Amino acid sequence: MMSRQRSPFASGVVVASLVFLFVPLLVVVVFSFHSVGALTLPFRGFSLRWYRQIWKSDEFRSSLVNSAVVASVTGLVTMVLGTLAAYALSATRSRLRAPLALLLFLPLTLPGLFVGLSLLVMFGRATVSLSLWTVAVAHLVYVMPYFLLIAVATLQRLDVSLEEAAADLGATRWVVFTKVTLPQVWPVLMGATFLAFALSFDEFVITFFVIGPESTLPLYIFSSLRRTVDPSINAISTLLLGITLVLFALSFALTTRGGRGDALAGPVEGGRLDEH
Amino acid sequence: MRLRVQWKAGASMNIENTVTGAPRVEAIAVQRRFGGVTALGGVSLTAAPGEFVTLLGPSGCGKTTLLRIIAGFDQPTAGSVRLNGHDVTKVPAHRRPVNMVFQRPALFPHLDVARNVAFGPRIAGIGKSELRARVDDALAMVRLDGYQHRRAHELSGGQMQRVALARAIVNRPEVLLLDEPLSALDLRIRLEMEEELRRLHRELGATFVYVTHDQREALALSDRIAVFSGGQIEQVGTPDEVYNRPATPFVARLVGDANVIAVDAAPGESDSSLVHLGDVPLLVNGSVRGPAWLVVRPENVQLGLPVGTESLCGTIVDVSFRGTGFAYRVDISGLPHPLKAEVPGGPPLAVGERVSVAWLPSAVCLLTRDDHRDSDMIGVGH
Repeated sequence: MMSRQRSPFASGVVVASLVFLFVPLLVVVVFSFHSVGALTLPFRGFSLRWYRQIWKSDEFRSSLVNSAVVASVTGLVTMVLGTLAAYALSATRSRLRAPLALLLFLPLTLPGLFVGLSLLVMFGRATVSLSLWTVAVAHLVYVMPYFLLIAVATLQRLDVSLEEAAADLGATRWVVFTKVTLPQVWPVLMGATFLAFALSFDEFVITFFVIGPESTLPLYIFSSLRRTVDPSINAISTLLLGITLVLFALSFALTTRGGRGDALAGPVEGGRLDEH
Repeated sequence: MRLRVQWKAGASMNIENTVTGAPRVEAIAVQRRFGGVTALGGVSLTAAPGEFVTLLGPSGCGKTTLLRIIAGFDQPTAGSVRLNGHDVTKVPAHRRPVNMVFQRPALFPHLDVARNVAFGPRIAGIGKSELRARVDDALAMVRLDGYQHRRAHELSGGQMQRVALARAIVNRPEVLLLDEPLSALDLRIRLEMEEELRRLHRELGATFVYVTHDQREALALSDRIAVFSGGQIEQVGTPDEVYNRPATPFVARLVGDANVIAVDAAPGESDSSLVHLGDVPLLVNGSVRGPAWLVVRPENVQLGLPVGTESLCGTIVDVSFRGTGFAYRVDISGLPHPLKAEVPGGPPLAVGERVSVAWLPSAVCLLTRDDHRDSDMIGVGH
């Protein structure tokens, strides 16, 4: 077999892409620790003064709390509703299954601008005053398809004969779900919940439309930018980045690791193994 | 070993009380259609207490559908299912006093062996100390004592299927349903497991309803065999009946190997029919008249030195070694396909040799031929 030649051009493209992707992030992170207010090199020393400064800001702290509350509510409600919907969707033999799945996944393809605007119009028509609750509802619409995509794929991979075996052993539907189905998929569902939390936590466009007088962290960053450009923005952005990265990492670890369980359920090839 | 029958939780309906004399399992005119496709076309079958009944047939013949209907995983389009004389057609799977072993072990991957086996009794509310004893008992019965704390993925295919068996029998079901439980295993382990199944059946005294496409398994295990084809039962009988007195050419070909030859039967002397193979007239027991199938098993064909001109003669066109003897293909003029013959011992006859072909009158049978119905059988016997 021919080994692939490593062309200097290809390596160059890779390095350039990485630089292009990560240097702006790095700049933000580095300058969040800058000891002076200048956003230019040379780097004059390390300090946490900008973090201390934002922590003193009531506006920052309330928007951080708001984001956390909205993301938690969105994550939890998504987990409960999404799990039930995914279970129903993967278990049904109805002819409506495919169109229903399409409808549930459709919001993935809609621009945030459109979702935000239509929700705003709807809330207006329904005379619901805008608040963090309307944000949570909007986020639910936004993150549900992501959750469902993961949950349905996982549930469908499960071996149906496991559920039949449990029913055969006397388990009611509820017992089958809690004792057989959930134990196999809960890590993946937790991972998908973290993803929902992360998506909600740093969502900007839809939030911008449906939020009331309060502010969330991304909105706070946006409004600060319009006032001043000082390194405290970098500190906030770095925090947001850090939280989001941790959540995505957790989500990734759980969803990929959790998929392992069902490999044991269908030992067709295992059945070919020798006895001793 | 005396077994106390313990019913599953929720089996609140009165199926504990056996209607005296009722069969353990009874399928009455069970029909199942999927859209426009008929999987089962009105099938009736019974299994007596303690009986080992096998549903045998090629894939897609409806045998698994019937088993799943008995288990409660599928509902019949028409007809009913009775257990101990009680109609359970509308009773959901988890409330039927039957247990099933699937083609794949379907062990719960998040539980160890002991917890897998304890799943049923735990739902039935069996107390801790008894639960443990019963799990250990069941594992001992499938010879897996000491495997309590293994995980499914640490077991071999045969061991997994044993755990699946233990998980079913620990509930002490009166009816054990088995859906091709050995089909995914290696031949050597399959033979071992066959022995285990026979032993379990003897020791448990439960009714076994067993689905397989393997005629050898069916013959080796069953008290009675129901041969399925195209959603219908072709024949129900003991292994001996099904093998030696097949009701249809389909059964003859499915169960064991057979030469099935299209003939025209004319009245013979007294209780026999006269058929012609090529130019040679032969008398066959039975009173079939008109178009017929002549069925003769390869091991019942006797080959010898050609004598006279009256007897049936042919030329050997193929020889293969079969361990206990040799299998031949004999070309007989006037027959569309060479005849299969299996002769114990050697030395082998050579290809091209002329031989006489004979069989005992009791070793062949004559079946009515309906060219319309048996159209798929035209050209059999090759």
